[in-house]
Amino acid sequence: MTETLLYLIQQLINGLTIGSTYALIAIGYTMVYGIIGMINFAHGEIYMIGSYVTFIVIAGLVSMGMVSLPIILVVALIVAVVIASTYGWTVERVAYRPLRGSNRLIPLISAIGMSIFLQNYVVLAQGSRDVALPPQISGGWTFGDPAVFEVSFSYMQALIWIATFVTMVALTLFISRSRMGRACRACSEDLGMTNLLGIDTNRTIALTFIIGAALAAVAGLLLGLYYGVVNPFVGFIAGLKAFTAAVLGGIGSIPGAVLGGLILGVTEALTSAYFPSEYKDVVSFSLLVLILLFRPSGLLGKPEVEKV
Amino acid sequence: MKTIKTTLKAVALAVMATSTLAQAETLKIGLAGPATGPVAQYGDMQKIGVMAAIDDINNAGGINGMQLEGIIYDDACDPKQAVAVANKIVNDGVMHVVGHLCSSSTEPASDIYEEEGVLMITAASTSPSITEKGHQLIFRTIGLDSLQGTLAAQHILNSVKPKTIAVIHDKQQYGEGLATTVKSTLEAAGTEIVMFEGVTAGDKDFSALIAKLKKEGIDFVYYGGYHPELGLILRQSREKGFNAQFMGPEGIVNSDLAKIAGKASEGVLATAPKSFDQNPVNQARVERIKAKGEDPTGPFVFTAYAAVELMQNAINKTGSTDPEEMAEYIRANPLETAIGKVAYDKKGDLTESTFQVFTLHQDGSKTPVK
Amino acid sequence: MQNNKFMSALFAAGITFVLACLMIGVKLDTESTTLAVRGATAEQWTWIGLGITLVFLSQLFSNQIDAFFGKLPKPKVGSLLPTGDKMTTLKPWLLAALIVGMVIWPFMVSRGAVDLATLTLIYIMLGLGLNIVVGLAGLLDLGFVAFYAVGAYTYALLSMYFGLSFWVCLPLAAAFAALFGFVLGFPVLRLRGDYLAIVTLGFGEIIRILLNNWTAVTGGPNGISGIAKPTLFGLEFTRRAKGEDAQTFHDFFGISYSSSYKVIFLYLIAVLLVIFVIYLINRLMRMPIGRAWEALREDEIACRSLGLNRTAIKLSAFTIGASTAGFAGSFFAARQGFISPESFIFIESAIILAIVVLGGMGSQVGVILAAIIMTILPELAREFSEYRMLMFGLLMVIMMRWRPEGLVPMKRPHLELKQ
Repeated sequence: MTETLLYLIQQLINGLTIGSTYALIAIGYTMVYGIIGMINFAHGEIYMIGSYVTFIVIAGLVSMGMVSLPIILVVALIVAVVIASTYGWTVERVAYRPLRGSNRLIPLISAIGMSIFLQNYVVLAQGSRDVALPPQISGGWTFGDPAVFEVSFSYMQALIWIATFVTMVALTLFISRSRMGRACRACSEDLGMTNLLGIDTNRTIALTFIIGAALAAVAGLLLGLYYGVVNPFVGFIAGLKAFTAAVLGGIGSIPGAVLGGLILGVTEALTSAYFPSEYKDVVSFSLLVLILLFRPSGLLGKPEVEKV
Repeated sequence: MKTIKTTLKAVALAVMATSTLAQAETLKIGLAGPATGPVAQYGDMQKIGVMAAIDDINNAGGINGMQLEGIIYDDACDPKQAVAVANKIVNDGVMHVVGHLCSSSTEPASDIYEEEGVLMITAASTSPSITEKGHQLIFRTIGLDSLQGTLAAQHILNSVKPKTIAVIHDKQQYGEGLATTVKSTLEAAGTEIVMFEGVTAGDKDFSALIAKLKKEGIDFVYYGGYHPELGLILRQSREKGFNAQFMGPEGIVNSDLAKIAGKASEGVLATAPKSFDQNPVNQARVERIKAKGEDPTGPFVFTAYAAVELMQNAINKTGSTDPEEMAEYIRANPLETAIGKVAYDKKGDLTESTFQVFTLHQDGSKTPVK
Repeated sequence: MQNNKFMSALFAAGITFVLACLMIGVKLDTESTTLAVRGATAEQWTWIGLGITLVFLSQLFSNQIDAFFGKLPKPKVGSLLPTGDKMTTLKPWLLAALIVGMVIWPFMVSRGAVDLATLTLIYIMLGLGLNIVVGLAGLLDLGFVAFYAVGAYTYALLSMYFGLSFWVCLPLAAAFAALFGFVLGFPVLRLRGDYLAIVTLGFGEIIRILLNNWTAVTGGPNGISGIAKPTLFGLEFTRRAKGEDAQTFHDFFGISYSSSYKVIFLYLIAVLLVIFVIYLINRLMRMPIGRAWEALREDEIACRSLGLNRTAIKLSAFTIGASTAGFAGSFFAARQGFISPESFIFIESAIILAIVVLGGMGSQVGVILAAIIMTILPELAREFSEYRMLMFGLLMVIMMRWRPEGLVPMKRPHLELKQ
């Protein structure tokens, strides 16, 4: 294979990995939006907390003399999911539930406030410096002629791809098949009616937040391991990108969030590959604007029906 | 009528302000820099240096019996907050400032100090444009970006002699300024730069950039910016099997680089102020800082210390705390300080470079390159 | 019932413990070279314990606490003002007194206070501008800061390259920002709700990144420094005159130099601009176009059925909002003397939006009040240094819970029949 082709393959691998990371966080955004139609700006912060908890658990277990990597990772995953879900639930309970039913800008401002609060809370609790973790899962596959261009695909990247795919399938099945999922869909159709039909909407919405936060924790764990660095500000940037991805794919749709994430990631990687990389954000936002101009509800979103 | 009244009032206030200053037992020194935010650790270095100098002076009886007091003003390295902080410093009647830290904060703040007659000595801002406006009251105890960049370029040309060079920066004032200096110096010497690109500060994924560097067959990368991004670039390069020689400015000289990049940080080159904590002159000072449980090895600790020394000496020699008189004295008279001899040119820049090339190690230490 | 209450209080306390134990109770050690954790100090654990007890007690006695606060009258800022006929006769006098007060006030307080007031006035302008877009026309704009940036850069660049004065640039900046609003608004205004929000957010980011990358013209991340300050009919407010034939204010009047003149002068310009903007918006709101904005917000389909051109209406709101931001931007550049893309980040848009929502969407008095609160509080909280932003975020949440309709909910102009 020629160098150009190998290079393109490498950049596609990179792009799909970045895209998967956006997708993992975007799924949480899209779930909450799909059910109650609000942008949960604090979602990125929950992801950041998930990363911190992962680091704390790993560091704690290692210092206690634990050596088995699988056990460490499983424990870290469980703890991160539990703690992040608790945060997700509390944020919903404290900042969003009392505002339900008011103008939809009100919860948005409350969410922005919550995001600022959580970010600074972690700054105070853990300091603002980067915290680094040595690589836990290293190595990978390489192919292509080293003399021309060697394409590398690490185990960590593969893990992120698999996790994103599994999450997407599992959640889609959950929403479309399970009883709870049906309740969720009912809530998104008509909250008041669902309530009348004897479904505890508060519980359903709380559950949505818990699932969303748990997904953010999974993303926090995977990305924490992949990049090996976390600071209190990662949540905001990642959240913004994931939000863009969710809208691009059609907010409210889970496969849409994944598709949007992947498109965004590949666009960024290819822009960096063939143009100066400082323009990658301009290109990805322009792409978003273009797609929305031609498909105003995103790629896989349901077109809004205007009712009188 | 109103104007006259207010003028009178303003004059009266000014007179009152100066007279209270003259009688004051303590001299307040403003310490402007980031106490919060992503680069707060550089603010800590400045604080350690200034506080050590103030303690040393106070323990020796102060300046002409006047005790010093350091007051911390947090600008979070945000230009807008820097302006607010500078105004607050003027309001508080503080006439002597050590700071700011980030060049982008120092620049707007220095305009205010110059206009309001406040003496400012920055211990860390290396951007050339700060002293280019002909300000009289603005000094620095650190070399210019251009000096640092030229030193780096000379080292690349004379010692490293790489085949294909890439210059990467973080699109911020400090990083891009340095990167541009390195690039133009190398190009002036007839060396071609294969890639010159910016990355986004705060990004986590540099895989696309690294694949590009790999494709171009780069064997030397100069990075203009701070340690968080370079740390990640190094770490991801190592994972992707890209093993070029990296080099950076003093903004990467921080033990956090080793923590982020791990083994990949071994052998990275950097230009940084000489390790003043290794200088035998400063041994007692280093011990005193360590006794307080603080870290004396940061690149800005002793540049900040020297800034206070300059102020102390100028007050001693002129017998006045007036910033204009002090500035005149500092400009005209070289002084032997914790960072060696400090002499200024007309603009308020050091005449001698305090930079040196170091090799960084994975345990966070650094050794000078001969 | 009591037992139930106890259980839920226990549950809340448990949740608080889970939240606190890993984030506050255990800290990642950043000092050593290998990653390690250390437990919190005894003092921190005491604080955590106190927090948990507080949550437990407040949950246990939540009914009593609610009852207590329920008895307190809800402050109604709006009702402090006299209403009806009395208001109509009093209003001009009140306004006149307010304006006179605002003009005299800076001469009595410190330089810092005037400076802060100037900043507040900038945010008032921004809030009023966004209020047209979000509050009146109901278009959610998360990238308002883009127009602010356009205004600031217009003045900075024109002044740097062509030496144009502030007074010439002020309308130009507003016009330029309006043009941007028009060009950006045209394609995106058919998007609805949150899609519009994300596209405007994207535009805000694009403009910031372009300003950051276009180093040749905008100076890139270095920004533009040494932007000329406004002059009073050619009189400068500097210590020494800059140009050949320039003259300084204090020389002209033969008084000694004081830096507070400049600060007060800038403040007075800001007051003038704010009054102008308020006047303009008030006129617009009473015009058919202003009514159309609100009608469109309330029911888009009904408006279309009545033959209103919704694109034109939305576009006019977007453009006029943008031009107000352009005003504020060029003034900001003049006051700051230095601008860089770092001043125009997303969080700035979020704060302006918070001002509009907190004030009560559509209500001008509310927006002004909220702008004052949002700029002065962080400054007052400077004493708490590291807790500053934490409190700011918390306050946004509490405010939304406490007064979701805003500080001063909007009142439509209406007539009342007397009994």
